[in-house]
Amino acid sequence: MLAEQIINGVVLGSMYALIAQGYTLVFGVLNKLNFAHGEIFMLGGFICVASIALGASLPIAILVTAIIAGLLGLVVEFIGFRKFQSPDAHLTAALSSFAIGLVIIDLSQKIWGAESVAVTLPGTLQTAAVSIGGLRIVMLRLAILVISLLLMLALYVVVTRSSLGRRIRAVAESPTKAALFGINVTRINQQVFFVASMMAGLAGLALALRTGYASSDVGFTFGLKALAIMAIGGMGDLRGALIGGLLIGVLEALAFHWGLGQLADVFVWLLMIVILLMRPSGLFGTLISKEVRA
Amino acid sequence: MDVYPQSILSVDGLSKSFRGLTALDQISLDVRRGEILGLMGPNGAGKSVFINVITGLYPADYGTVRFLGRDVTRLPSYALARLGIARTYQNIRLLRRMTVLENVLVAIKDHVNRPLRSLFTRNRVCFVRAATTLLEQFHLADKRDWLAGSLAYGEARRLEIARALAGKPSLLLLDEPAAGMNERETEELGDTIRASRKLLQAMVIVEHDVAMMRGLADRLVVMDAGHKIAEGKPGEVLAEPNVIEAYLGTDEADE
Amino acid sequence: MIQDYIVFVGVNIVLAWSVYVILLAGSLSFANGGFMAIGAYVSGVLTVKFGFPLVIAALISGIAAGLIGVLAGFPALRTRGIYLMLVTVGIAVSVKAVIESIDYVGGIQGFGGMVGTTPWHVVGLVVLVGGGLALLSRSPLQRILDAVREDELSAASLGINPIYVKLTCFGVGAFLAAVAGSFYAHYLIHVSPDQVLSVFIVLYAVLGGTNNMWGPPIGAAIMTLTPEFVRGLEAWRPTAFGVVILCLLLIRPDGLLAFRIATTRTKAVAGSKPKQST
Repeated sequence: MLAEQIINGVVLGSMYALIAQGYTLVFGVLNKLNFAHGEIFMLGGFICVASIALGASLPIAILVTAIIAGLLGLVVEFIGFRKFQSPDAHLTAALSSFAIGLVIIDLSQKIWGAESVAVTLPGTLQTAAVSIGGLRIVMLRLAILVISLLLMLALYVVVTRSSLGRRIRAVAESPTKAALFGINVTRINQQVFFVASMMAGLAGLALALRTGYASSDVGFTFGLKALAIMAIGGMGDLRGALIGGLLIGVLEALAFHWGLGQLADVFVWLLMIVILLMRPSGLFGTLISKEVRA
Repeated sequence: MDVYPQSILSVDGLSKSFRGLTALDQISLDVRRGEILGLMGPNGAGKSVFINVITGLYPADYGTVRFLGRDVTRLPSYALARLGIARTYQNIRLLRRMTVLENVLVAIKDHVNRPLRSLFTRNRVCFVRAATTLLEQFHLADKRDWLAGSLAYGEARRLEIARALAGKPSLLLLDEPAAGMNERETEELGDTIRASRKLLQAMVIVEHDVAMMRGLADRLVVMDAGHKIAEGKPGEVLAEPNVIEAYLGTDEADE
Repeated sequence: MIQDYIVFVGVNIVLAWSVYVILLAGSLSFANGGFMAIGAYVSGVLTVKFGFPLVIAALISGIAAGLIGVLAGFPALRTRGIYLMLVTVGIAVSVKAVIESIDYVGGIQGFGGMVGTTPWHVVGLVVLVGGGLALLSRSPLQRILDAVREDELSAASLGINPIYVKLTCFGVGAFLAAVAGSFYAHYLIHVSPDQVLSVFIVLYAVLGGTNNMWGPPIGAAIMTLTPEFVRGLEAWRPTAFGVVILCLLLIRPDGLLAFRIATTRTKAVAGSKPKQST
């Protein structure tokens, strides 16, 4: 049914948005692309699988995934970005995060094998559904959607209203000036990485729960697409990442509904290329919560 | 206003706006064969915009530019360079990671016009010799293997001019060549410019330094807020009241 | 087998050079994996379904990829740095997605039957490309490329057309990647999008150093051969790659062979030594 597909699209889109916002946070604050981000997303699914296999309940698994993903983000920041803080080091930072991503994929394939691993959930958690206005909605997906939106809302509030958020925005605008004002730029970078990676990990967990599998290539497929979404919505713009993600999610769902599934990917990337050519600042450009650096 | 063969460059009604702000408003002028034309005016007058439009960096909104009789208004930068219009930039743009000699060699017209063909030309000695001769004229030959980025400011400016001349242009446009120079450097620059005269058909110099222009330019054009407000011999132009006013603002003569 | 080594190393060397050629004009292209795949598939279709001889098919696929490469170069005229990175990644991913959606060539599974590459093909290609690049580095064209790369604006003021230069480099780079991809496919006999779209190409070039033409092949050779020679590393290739790249970026970000060879040999003027800029 079309309406159900659209809702599926929104759920999918909220996951894209979570990942895209992570890219956006890092790009907005450090002005660099973190290519390991998609792989942390990928690991989120595996960590969830591992925790549940070790007997944790779902809420505990969520917590564990969030924390471990965040910590991994700190590792990535330390290895891949700490030494490359100059504005010219885009490429080196991108390459080093790419290298880290490679290592992560390989290691996870060594640990869990190259095939997808099934997620075993208690009872009917996966399929319990409700009927709202004649549409059958899977509870799980609804929960994912709600929680994702809440997370992003929380992020938005933190970035725009809290003192931490003020400091983040200061570093985003100019790390040198922020340092002159006494802000510990490294600490802010770390915090940003922690939050962004945490979101990615949770998105990965959500995907694993939704599809029932954790697999090692989602970082490349999903993760990279979220990068395109970030570029479409506006590099460094949280709002753009959210709206871009939801939009693309819905578009993809519609594409599948109409049998054009394969080409949905190409479309997203072509759209990104077109937008980068015409409006490099993306659809939303500058914004209140994040400022795009020239 | 097309007075070829006397005019090397003929500008008619040139206008350019940026998002509603008028930078050039119906500028018309001629650059005559053999002359050094000075372009002066307070900051924001539009002098650099003028140079940038003439050399193809920005497209003009209205007006025409004729070079050696040809309409070149819509041509891109590289095409204008190939026709014989060369320029230097306010903040010196050299290829800093290449040597002094290479900076000059890169300007050789044969190669520039047919880049693919130049794949098969080896670095013939004749090119190196021609480049070195040019460098000698600019007192840079002893530094020819130095990286351009390690030259002193005055030397770097000389190199930029030498390089612009390597392509054997007819017209050379200098955008604030004396910017950031002290008196001695400015004098040397003046000497360099005078020595370069014979290699060219005409020169246009955008400058602030009144003393330098008084001694160097054959004619002056003064701009203010996008308009041409005066034109003529330096002595006369610099004495005109509206020129003085443009530079000093609308204050009464200083008390 | 020694044959495998020659072919794989040779192919990777040409691929690394294909990135180098585009880099000469100032753009770092992540799209060459896509051009490689185009080469593999186009030549594969030509030989398997239409009976073309290998070299002709490879050349045709090279030209096809070259044209697409020129198209891909247009975005590069308007974007820099990270944005260019994204655009070229987008091109590679799009190529992969398009190939996967075409049933005629087997979609995700790919198709097979491509034979014909001998080590001689690859060696010949390496020699030709290497010779061309060596000729380039001794010619005035090298300086023109350097000028465009360093400062497009002032290059244009000298009469150089940066658009022409950049698009040509993209076209040539794509051509090289495609021909290499063709030979690779015809050695593997079977191709699928995953097999012929290498994401490592840029790494080869960067590892070796991108300031002169010898860096990329050395990087390609090292990355291709090291796992073979260090026992037990074969299975850990991606991790090994990752770790090596990381170490390299931390210690010698310019790559292994990061020196620029001056394009003119002038007799040293007595008493003056070339000074290094900061």
